Amino acid sequence: MLIQSPSGVKSMRKQMIISVMSKDRPGIIADITGAIYQLGGDVADLNQTVLCGYLTMILSVSFTPEVTKEDLLASISHIKTSSRFEVSIKELDPKQQDKVPGPPEETYILTVQGPNKTGIVHGVSLFCYNHNINIFDLATTLRNDQYTMALQLDLKHCNTSLATLQQELEDYSKQSGLTILMQHNDIFQVTNEVTLH
Amino acid sequence: MLRSDQILATVEMIQKENLDVRTVTMGINLLDCRGGDIEETCQKIHTRIVDYAGEFVATCDSMSKKYGIPVVNKRIAVTPIAFVGAGFFRDDFVRIAQTLDQAATDVGVDILGGYSAQVEKGMTNTDLEFIASIPEALAQTEKVCSSINIGTTQKGINMDALAMMGHTIKELAERTADQGGFGAAKFVVFCNQPGDNPFMAGAIHGVEEADAVLNVGVSGPGVIARALERLIQKHPEPGSLQLDELAEEIKQTTFRVTRCGELIGRAVSRSLGIEFGVVDLSLAPTPTIGDSVGEIFKILGVDAIGAPGSTAILAMLNDAVKKGGIFASKTVGGLSGAFIPVMEDAMLAEAVGDGTLCLEKLEAMTCVCSVGLDMVAIPGSVDADTIAAIIADEMALGMINSKTTAARLIPVPGKEAGDSVSFGGLFGASPIMPIRNIGKSSRFIAWGGRMPAPIHSFKN
Repeated sequence: MLIQSPSGVKSMRKQMIISVMSKDRPGIIADITGAIYQLGGDVADLNQTVLCGYLTMILSVSFTPEVTKEDLLASISHIKTSSRFEVSIKELDPKQQDKVPGPPEETYILTVQGPNKTGIVHGVSLFCYNHNINIFDLATTLRNDQYTMALQLDLKHCNTSLATLQQELEDYSKQSGLTILMQHNDIFQVTNEVTLH
Repeated sequence: MLRSDQILATVEMIQKENLDVRTVTMGINLLDCRGGDIEETCQKIHTRIVDYAGEFVATCDSMSKKYGIPVVNKRIAVTPIAFVGAGFFRDDFVRIAQTLDQAATDVGVDILGGYSAQVEKGMTNTDLEFIASIPEALAQTEKVCSSINIGTTQKGINMDALAMMGHTIKELAERTADQGGFGAAKFVVFCNQPGDNPFMAGAIHGVEEADAVLNVGVSGPGVIARALERLIQKHPEPGSLQLDELAEEIKQTTFRVTRCGELIGRAVSRSLGIEFGVVDLSLAPTPTIGDSVGEIFKILGVDAIGAPGSTAILAMLNDAVKKGGIFASKTVGGLSGAFIPVMEDAMLAEAVGDGTLCLEKLEAMTCVCSVGLDMVAIPGSVDADTIAAIIADEMALGMINSKTTAARLIPVPGKEAGDSVSFGGLFGASPIMPIRNIGKSSRFIAWGGRMPAPIHSFKN
């Protein structure tokens, strides 16, 4: 999800982040959320995607304080399934739970387009890392051997000014032969969503 | 959730199709700047403008950088100066014009509008002194633009003022003969002039407005032209694309363009702590190739601008732009319609040179769009009464149809039809438009008085 909406966090409950990967088939979400429901869990947010026949999903779920990671793992392992679930669970620190994960003011969208070759994602993500830019979200498509990346970036802790960053992106664009452009997140929101904010 | 294709469509619009915000215009009230004498008044005016607009250009530039969308023009509109300088005389008004010019230079804006009067029903002594000052005021200043409202749907047309306009325009052009009559390009005559239009030369800060307000003019003929071309390319088989689908594309593209304008305008407004006024939805061309309203005519199916069908195309374009823009913005105002300023639009100017676009067709087209006979270079030999009569026709269109119309005619000294003139920059260039029936309207202009306001029912 490139534009995030603040998800509700129930402060008195324990929050877990659950990641599941499996070969794709109908019923995976029903199975996993069924196991969560049996333990009284409340799904706050869920994001899933399918790539090359494999499904991966990440869920944000709150439980009553007595439910443990082991209870949840056991509940999921009792699901009768032809495809094996690879599950990873993290309990959130209560302090972290208070933070509303809405995009900050300095959120930008970076688009990268060019002929497909190895190292594009690595090169762009390394560029971001070198400038202390966090990648919120990333989507890629490959069509007619043209590779396209769209990244949602957090520039809050970026160690260079916007003007310098734009210049460096332009240099990187020339050097790599990729078309790279960065625009403020608000532009994409206002041109693609009906709600004015 | 935004999809990659939506993201890429927006990127295309901004980076490859020259999307920009055409103008952010700060309206400033000067009504309480009238001092005991002209010097005190000028001092107050200068202080007021610098106080409000000191950070204006820097803020626009910083928002422009943040969002990656250029703000082409930063402008100021002030309360019509004939109100501000009530009781002053011709030479005093020239002093005010010089002060406005200095203030505009000091805060770094491109143009300042509002050297104006509103005389649709009658003229005070101040108005007469003010109108007499216009040729010298505009010849002595660089950034000041002037406008006179001589008619409204409610009050009719002030024919005495109209007759004066012909002479004012001639004198403006002659005083700036070394610049091709450029003075006349900074002067526009209106019917139903809005008080919140951000575009020049007709921007004023209406007396109905608050102390300061920010209005935004979006651009986008280039963006719309490219969107239409893409849609047409996707439907190569004859009959697979119809006019309503093209209108829909214009509407949706305008929505996006308007949203960007409003985003930047509101960001500047928040940053300066000045109220946001309106987005003006006018489709404003520039002389840059690929940023032409004229080009859209050809894309939509006439091989020459001015050919039969041109008025119908413009009607649809204008309507689609409004429909998309009105939904996109919280507050719409100003002129809000497609502009056809001949000199500022390379394709329209070319059509004048080719002889496909004549004054009469241009006039017909202004019935369905804003703003009127705009930036039309005419032979310098055309007499004042003929100019006044051309303006009278345009004013009548606005008065009867309850819409804004305007005339910005430039009688280029020493040039005749077939010659050409260039002002450079956003003012553009054009061949001189031939004028027919010169010198045949003097008896009509000589009547003076008022053309009565029209009836508001039986609208056929």
